[in-house]
Amino acid sequence: MSVRQARSCLRYPTQLRSCIKDLAGPADRARGDMYGKLRTVTVRHIVLKVHIYAGLFTFGQLVIYGVAGVSAALQPGLDRPKSAHVVRYVPFTPAPSATDKEVAAAVYAVVAPPLSRPVPDWFLRRTADNDLLLDFYNINGIWRVVVLEREHRLRIEQIRNNLWLFSSDVHAATIGDAEAPRIIRVWALYNELAMWCLLAFCASGLYLWLSVRARGVWTWACLAGGTFSFVALWLSFR
Amino acid sequence: MYKTVRAAHRLLASLSLPFLLMYGVSAVQMAHGAWFSMKPEIRESQWPLAAGLTDARAVARDVTAHAPRIRGELSNIRATATGITLRLVRPGTVHEIQYDRDSGTARIKTSRAHTMGMLNRLHHAAGLWHASVALNVWGAAAAIVSLALLVLGATGVYMWFARRTERIAGGVLLGVNVVVVLVLLGLMRSAGP
Repeated sequence: MSVRQARSCLRYPTQLRSCIKDLAGPADRARGDMYGKLRTVTVRHIVLKVHIYAGLFTFGQLVIYGVAGVSAALQPGLDRPKSAHVVRYVPFTPAPSATDKEVAAAVYAVVAPPLSRPVPDWFLRRTADNDLLLDFYNINGIWRVVVLEREHRLRIEQIRNNLWLFSSDVHAATIGDAEAPRIIRVWALYNELAMWCLLAFCASGLYLWLSVRARGVWTWACLAGGTFSFVALWLSFR
Repeated sequence: MYKTVRAAHRLLASLSLPFLLMYGVSAVQMAHGAWFSMKPEIRESQWPLAAGLTDARAVARDVTAHAPRIRGELSNIRATATGITLRLVRPGTVHEIQYDRDSGTARIKTSRAHTMGMLNRLHHAAGLWHASVALNVWGAAAAIVSLALLVLGATGVYMWFARRTERIAGGVLLGVNVVVVLVLLGLMRSAGP
C-alpha cells in the first residue's frame, strides 16, 4: 500500500475495511489477525473518537444552542410577553399588620409557583390601585400575583413565554446559580458539560483538519472569511 | 454522499470557528465569573454643548459631533431636574452622559470592557432590530452561525452513522442524551405558568 493510499484510508472511514485488508500482510491473514496492524491507536484516532462521542453525548444541547441563536435573531426586540393567557382568583387574607415582605412570603407559600423563588425585597411593587404586585419568575415565564386585600383574594396571572424564548432561557442556565431549583441545576450541569464540549469540538475539529495536512482551498477560504468577519466586527465595536 | 456531507461539515465549521470559540469562551466566563476579572476601564470627560437642548437624540448627536469616538446605540433616556441623562451603548463600551440644560455641559463617563467583558457583550448581542448597522450585521452573523451549528450537528450525526464500528457506542451516547434532554425539557416546560 502506498503512502497516498494509506492517507486515503485514514481520511475516508467508509473505506476502512478494505484498507485494513490491504495493510495486513500474508502472515497476519494466516493467523486470522487481519486487522492487527490497523489496530495501532494513533492520536488522530483518539481525537476523532472524542470528537464524535462528545458530539453525540451533547447533541441535544447543541441543537438548543442553535435554536436559541436563531430565535434571538428573529426576536423583534428585547421586550418579552406581558399578557396573561390564564387568570384565576384564589381567596387570601393577609395577616393583620404584616409587612409587604411577610405578605409576599405568605403569598409564595399559598401559590407555590413551580420552579420559582420568593420575590426579593427590592422587587416588591404596587399597582396603580396601590395593591401589592408580586412577579414570580421561572424558566417558562411569570406568575404575576396581585394581592387584592379589599376583596380578600389574589389575582394570579400566568404569563407564558413561547418556545423560542424558552430555548433562549434554557441555553443560559449555568451552575453558578446555586439557589436554582434542582431540575434547573441538573440541566445546568449538563449545559456545563456541553459548554466544554463545544470548546473541545473547536480544538479537536481544527486538529483533525490540520492532521490531514489542512487540505482544501475552500476550507482555508471559509476559515479566512470567518476570521476576517469576526475581527472586522470586533474592531468596529471597539 | 459521504464526501459531500464531510465537505459541508468542514466548510461550515471553518467559517464558524471564530464565532463558536467566542461563544464557548464567553460561556465559560458567564458560568465561572469568579475566574475572570471583569472590571472595566473607566474614563471621564466633559464637553461643552449647546445649552437648552431638550431632546436626547439632539444631545447624543451633539456629543458624537464633538467626539466621534463617543458613539453607540441610544438608550436609558431619563429626564432630570437639570437636564437629561442617556447612554450610548455598543458591545463592550457604555457612555453614560449627563447633560446640564442650563450650562450645556455634558459629563461623560465611559466604561470600556476588557477582552472577556467584550466577549460577554458580544455573546449577548443579537437581533436585527438595532439602529446600528454593525450590530445588525453581527446579529445576522450570529444567526448564520446558529444555523451552521444545527447543520454541523446533523452532518456530524450522519457521518457517525456511516462509521459502522462506532454505531453501538455512539448510539448509546446519543440515546442517553436525547432521553435526558427530552425528559428535563419536558419537566421544565410542564411546570408552567
